[in-house]
This record gives sequence, structure tokens and C-alpha cells, in this order.
Amino acid sequence: MSPLLAAAARRLGRRSPRPEPAGEPDAALVAELRAAIGAERVRADAAARYLASRDASIYSEGTAGPLCFPVTTTQVSACVRIAADHGRAVVPRGAGTGLSGGAAPLGRPVVLSLTRMNELLSVDLDNGVAWVQPGMVNLELSRRLAPYGMHYAPDPSSQQACTIGGNVATNSGGPHCLAYGVTSAHVVALEVVLSDASVVTLGDLTAEPAGYDLRGAFVGSEGMCGITTAAAVRLTRNPAAVRTMLMAYDDVSTGAATVSAIIAGGIVPAALEMLDRRCISAVEDFAKAGYPRDAAAVLLVEVDGPAGGVAASADRVAEIARANGAVSVRVAADDDERARLWKGRKSAFGAVANILPDYYLHDTVVPRSRLVEVLEQVYEIADRYELTALNVFHAGDGNLHPILAFDARVPGTMERVHAAGREIIEASLAVGGALSGEHGIGVEKRDYMERMFSEADLDQQSRLRAAFDPHCRLNPGKVLPSAHSCADIGALRAADGKLWG
Amino acid sequence: MHLGLDDDELTSCVACGLCLPHCPTFVITGRDTESPRGRIALMRAVQDEGAPVTGEVLRSMETCVQCLGCETACPSGVPFGHLMEGTRAALAAEGHITPRWQRLGLRLLRHRRLLLAGSTLLALAGRLRLLPMRRLGLPARLPLRRGRHRASGSDVWLFTGCVMDAWQRHTHLAVQRVLEAAGVGVTPTAGAAPCCGALHAHAGLAPDAAAMARQVMAALSGDDRPVLVDSAGCGAAMKHYGRLLGTAEARDFSARVFDVHEWLADRLDALLDSRPAAPLELTVAVQDPCHLRHAQRSHEAVPVVLGPFVRELVTLDDDGLCCGAGGAYSMLEPELATAIRSRKTAAVERSGASVVASANPGCSLHLAAAGLDVRHPLELVAQALDSGGDG
Repeated sequence: MSPLLAAAARRLGRRSPRPEPAGEPDAALVAELRAAIGAERVRADAAARYLASRDASIYSEGTAGPLCFPVTTTQVSACVRIAADHGRAVVPRGAGTGLSGGAAPLGRPVVLSLTRMNELLSVDLDNGVAWVQPGMVNLELSRRLAPYGMHYAPDPSSQQACTIGGNVATNSGGPHCLAYGVTSAHVVALEVVLSDASVVTLGDLTAEPAGYDLRGAFVGSEGMCGITTAAAVRLTRNPAAVRTMLMAYDDVSTGAATVSAIIAGGIVPAALEMLDRRCISAVEDFAKAGYPRDAAAVLLVEVDGPAGGVAASADRVAEIARANGAVSVRVAADDDERARLWKGRKSAFGAVANILPDYYLHDTVVPRSRLVEVLEQVYEIADRYELTALNVFHAGDGNLHPILAFDARVPGTMERVHAAGREIIEASLAVGGALSGEHGIGVEKRDYMERMFSEADLDQQSRLRAAFDPHCRLNPGKVLPSAHSCADIGALRAADGKLWG
Repeated sequence: MHLGLDDDELTSCVACGLCLPHCPTFVITGRDTESPRGRIALMRAVQDEGAPVTGEVLRSMETCVQCLGCETACPSGVPFGHLMEGTRAALAAEGHITPRWQRLGLRLLRHRRLLLAGSTLLALAGRLRLLPMRRLGLPARLPLRRGRHRASGSDVWLFTGCVMDAWQRHTHLAVQRVLEAAGVGVTPTAGAAPCCGALHAHAGLAPDAAAMARQVMAALSGDDRPVLVDSAGCGAAMKHYGRLLGTAEARDFSARVFDVHEWLADRLDALLDSRPAAPLELTVAVQDPCHLRHAQRSHEAVPVVLGPFVRELVTLDDDGLCCGAGGAYSMLEPELATAIRSRKTAAVERSGASVVASANPGCSLHLAAAGLDVRHPLELVAQALDSGGDG
């Protein structure tokens, strides 16, 4: 049926009138945004703003103002300029898979959703880079590069959904970053819109760009220094051979000992991941990866490179695993089995609701030698707060992802979750660890920054941010704690957040 | 407003976002309001936080194709389809969605003679150019005549349904020929069980859907013969009767329902015995209907059955993303449905196939309207059996 007829028929046949949307706030701002980028690309209704008020984390401290879906760099720039004219902040947003509240707006800022800017702009095989728009989905990028025998190496567990823009903002990692390095090592240049709406390019395609490495400063700046509108990412050649192995252990500590022994043996696997018993059981129903449900922990190890070298490394890894108490060592026979093993690992965080309906996924880094000690503390802390802890993590680089699973509907739970979270962070810092491995600081770790950095450190970070965004317009209230933030975080929290009616 | 949704089902979404790339409307729009995660969050806002049912909330629910791609992708096993059907039932009961003209149209599906007569009139009007068929979202050439149904035995029922029987009876006849070639005696359900009620459940007309489920069950309850279905959408709905009605009788009935490919895949030897010397000289792309891939999860049987009868089968590289047909969706949401379809047609083009095999009448009509040569998989098998192999 033609749209016209359907619309007419819909009007005639309606039994009761649809409720009118609640009065749109920010009418003048919205009108200007619509005039600049097209009416259909600006949403000011409660439903759209409600959904743009959070990401995949448990943090939601403010509400989104008008929500824009720009499709060009010029439109992003126009949105930033109009927001500035109205004295409003801007928060960029990709797929909203972040776990630290980085895209969750504070106050009532203009939110820029970059999901429509998802083109692969060019592939430059001579320089080994591709220019992509920020809304390009990480896994989709690798799929699009496959015909060239290339891929994009950083592979966060959410890679099937998360976007390159968000990866740049948080300097994302992923299982394969153990050997290949994190996002920063794979982004050679960026086109960004600054807070004054100007468009600049940071970095270039040469090996040694002139001047300061502003690209390096920008990657991981969590939307506070500018908005990425295009990224030149490094192409990584697909390895000639890959071998993926799954090892089962009767206890977590022998698994962790294997991790240290593999690295000490001079082997740097492409990936080295660990899942504990509860995690195994949560993912197994979904992924049918064949993880042994009776194991206390499994290690997922991948080695890649030239065929001969891979075979030798794999044998050596298996030998080390057995010497360190592995109960079984399984080598994926084909690509299909390999894909299933990875599906298990990469769906771990999403599978938590098979146990309990809510989760808080942590992200801390500890020295590899202290892994076991901290893991034991995590279980102990969770027990003490009557929470369920699951552990799935990048064992190779000591990047822990303890998951606290809970049911937020039970009164008093959130208090226990936050208290336990605080203790887990303290425990990681106490052994010389870091606040975040790859998820970013966002809202989640903001108030812990003073535990890790000195006054002078934080002042410098604040100044760097001010150099990019002197008027505190971009993603205010994130990363830097109150005393060092350009924004009045208390006031942002108190901003009018009325959404419905 | 309470949507009548189960609290545990509603809270089983952890909002991780892994469903997003598997949702056809999110992929097209990039908007959270048109994503599974967003839709669930809005259901929660309405049911738990007292959010009003605004026009945008309704649009969010109405734009869902109900393809269930998100269910397959969800590591936490959120029963999205059940939540969406519940939400639509609550919204339809209040008159928020599914206006009267749609309800009237859907009720017509139960009245077989009226439906067949109406379809013939429509076909006639189309031939005489009295109606702009394409602009109305109808197939360009509806059949003026249909072959006659006849029972060839009583091993199995072949469910023939409503619109499919009016518009694509040739498919049923081809399916029956294939079953007979495998030595199976077939009784077409024809007038006995007029409509499975799938479209009614999708539209939120839960009482109608339940009434039609009971009618189908009553008509086919005299024996325990398998009920074979050659429409993925109808098959999914009928396998779902157990949950829809919640009775032991309905669960037993659902256990008798099989997608025809699923059933044949287990009896392939009998069919292969009558295989012609040469397969059809065709390169065929298999399109997985969502109600086969995500709802019934039995799509892998199609290439098993079809493979031996054509020269080459190719898999599409779009990760099984929906084609946008969605039962009546392509008529109700033409813009989105067309945008979603363009991704599918691009995938078909990349595959190099000349023919698309689709095991669902809705997908088949929707894709054919984009100019693709679409056949039911068993029509191709029947053609191979009939022709002895010349494409």
C-alpha cells in the first residue's frame, strides 16, 4: 500500500487519538538544529531523549537534550556551533555500548549520535590505512577489509556493535591487543570537530608527524577534546595461520600461573583470555562453545603468524599449560570451532542475565604476577557483600573484568554493589594496578582518579583538556573529578531532567 | 500503563547492545528508538516508570518487524518476541495501534471463500488496470485461476493457509508433488483450517490469534499426523500455539508441526531416489526467512533439501539480516521495509545468484517486488523432478 494511503487509512481508522507528545523543551535550539541539519535528523521527544540518556553501564546521572543524527562533518560542526550559541554542552555518542557512563549525558546537553556516519571512506593499500567515519561498527570494518586480506586489529568484546568513534574515545582494547596493541597504535590520523566548531586534522600518514603528537593526546580523551568525524586506521594483514586453544583448569590459580609461564617463556600469543566457572556456565547455554562446565577456569589462547612458527608456538604453549596443571588442552580443528570458542568469550558480558538481571562490569589492570591474589580478593569482596562475582578477563595483560551480578530490584542492592566496586578498585590499586584498562573513566571511575593521580597530574590533565576545549563544552563532568573538572558536576546533576510530560 | 509483561522477562535485558547490528530497523535508522534494546527500555519505562504512551513510543513498537534477529543474537536469551507481542496486545486492546481498517482486513483472512473471491476480483481489477497494483503494495500479477487441491493420501497434512493459498497456490501444489515423489501421501488442509493467526498475533490481536489457533487445532485434531507447513511464518506461529494458549493440547499440537524442509531433511533418501540425472542449471541464493532462522531455528534444512537439485547454492553474506517483509509490515511500513530490502537485494547481487530461494510467502512477494526472481525452494525441487534437469 502506498505510504499516502496507509497514512490516510490510519487517520480514518484510529479508534482513539494518539496522545500528543509532551511539550518540547528547548524549542529555539531545536528549531535552529533542524534548520541546520534537517528536521528529520533532530529528535527532541521524550522517548528518544530517554534512550540517549544512558549507555550500557549502570550510570545515568542526567538526561539528553535534543538528539542529533548528523551525516557529514559539516553537520557535526553546525551542531557544535549552535549548541555553543545556546550555551549548551555537546555529548557525542556511538552505539552506546560503553560501560563507564562516558556517553551518558550530564545536565541536559545536545547529544550527537554518530551512527549514521558509518561509511568506509577510502582504503589506501600503499600507506596501509583506511579512512572511516566514526559510526562504522568495529567488526563491520574488518568485514569490509576482508577482500584486501586485511583487518582492523583492536577487537573489543562488543566489536559486533561498538563503533570506531567510541573506540577512539576510550582507546579501546580487546583480546588481540595483547600482541597487536590497543586503539592508539592503530589510529594514525583523525579529523575532529573542536569545541569552537572548527574542523582540524590531527596526525598524518607519515611515520614521524611534525610537532606534538596531538593525535596521541586525543585518542582516549572520551569526547572531551573534540568529536571524531573521520579516522585513518591502520590495516593489519590477516595472519597466514592461526591456532586457537582452550585449556581447562581445576583452579583459577594454576590457570593464572600458566599465563605468567607462557609470557615468561618468551611467547606473546595474539590473545590470552581467562573465564571462571560461573562465566563458563553463563555463556555455554548461548554460545555452545563446548567450554567444559566442570572446569574451575578456562584459558583461551590464540597464536598467529607464519604457519611454521604458529605450529611451534602452539606446541610450546600446550606443553607449558600441561606442565602448569591444565586438565585438558583442546585445539580448534577448523574456523567454525575457532569462531565458536571466540563467540563464548565475546558474549560473556551479555550473557550475565542468564544468572541475574543486572551487572556491573569492572575494568582494572593489575601486574600479571599479582593476578591470583587480586582474583581471590574479588571473590572474597563479592561474598562479603552477598553479590555474585564472575571473572572474565584479558589475562595476558593483567586486565581484569570482574562482573558483579545482581538484581537491582532488591532494595539496598545498589549500595552494596557500589561499596563492593570501591573495594575491588582499591584492591587493584593497592598492588600497583591501574583504574581502567580499556573501558575509560567516564562517570564510573571519575571520583577514583585522585586515588591514582597526584594533584599535579590531574591539573595537567585538566589543562590539556582546556587547551582543546577552553569553554568546557564537550562532554563536561566526565573523567576529571570535581576539584579538577571545568564543570560544576553537582550543578549538572541537579539540572532539570524531567522527561515524561 | 501496565503492559501485562512479565517482570523477569523484562529485566532479563542487560542493555549490552549486542543485538543492535542484528536489528534491521536499527541498522537502517541508527536510532535507539528503533532498536531491540531501546524498545525494551521503553516497555520498562511505560510499565514500571509511568512513562506516557506517546506517539514516539508507539512508533518505536510499530516499526519493529518482529524478525527476532535480536533473540538469536542475545547472549542472555531475552524473549523479545514474547515481550513485543505482549506489548502490542496491550496497546491494541487500548486502541493505540492496529486501527479498524487493519482489524477488518485481518478478520477477512478467516473467511476463506470471501478471501479467494476477493483475491480473484483484485486480480481481475489488476489485469484490467483498474487498480494501481504496485502502488498499493500488491503483486503485479495475482493469479486469476488456481489449481485444485486434492488429497493424495493420509500420511501428513499440508497446511495451506490464507493469503498464500489465494496468491501462491502453485507453491502448495509443487510442495505436494515433492512430498509425493518422496512417497508421502498428502492431505492439504484447504478450507478445514483457514488461517494460522500469525498476522493477528503480530498486530496485537491476541484474542483473534487464540481463536484461530483453536480453529486450526480443532480441524486437525482427529489424528496425530504430522502437520507440514511450507510458509515459515505460519510454521513459526503454529509451533508457538503451545505458548500462545498455554494448554497441554496446544503443546502436543505444536509438537506435530514441522517446516516442510525440516521434515524432508530427515527423509532425504526417499526423495533422492527420484532425483533426476542432472540438477537444474541454476545458481541459487538461499534467503533465510526470519521465521525459519530465528523463530524456528530450522533454516539449515533448506540447503540440505535443495542442494542436490540445483547446480550451485550460494550463501548470502549479510548475516541473515531480515528482508523487511515481516508479514503485513511491508504494506504498513513501506519506507522502512523498502530500505531494509535494499540491503538484501545488494547481498543477492554480490552473491552472483540468478534465482533466490525463499521458504516464506511474505519474503518471496516482497523480494519479487524488487525485481528478483524468487521461488520457493521446493518449487525448484519440483521443477527439477519434472524437467529432469533442464533449468
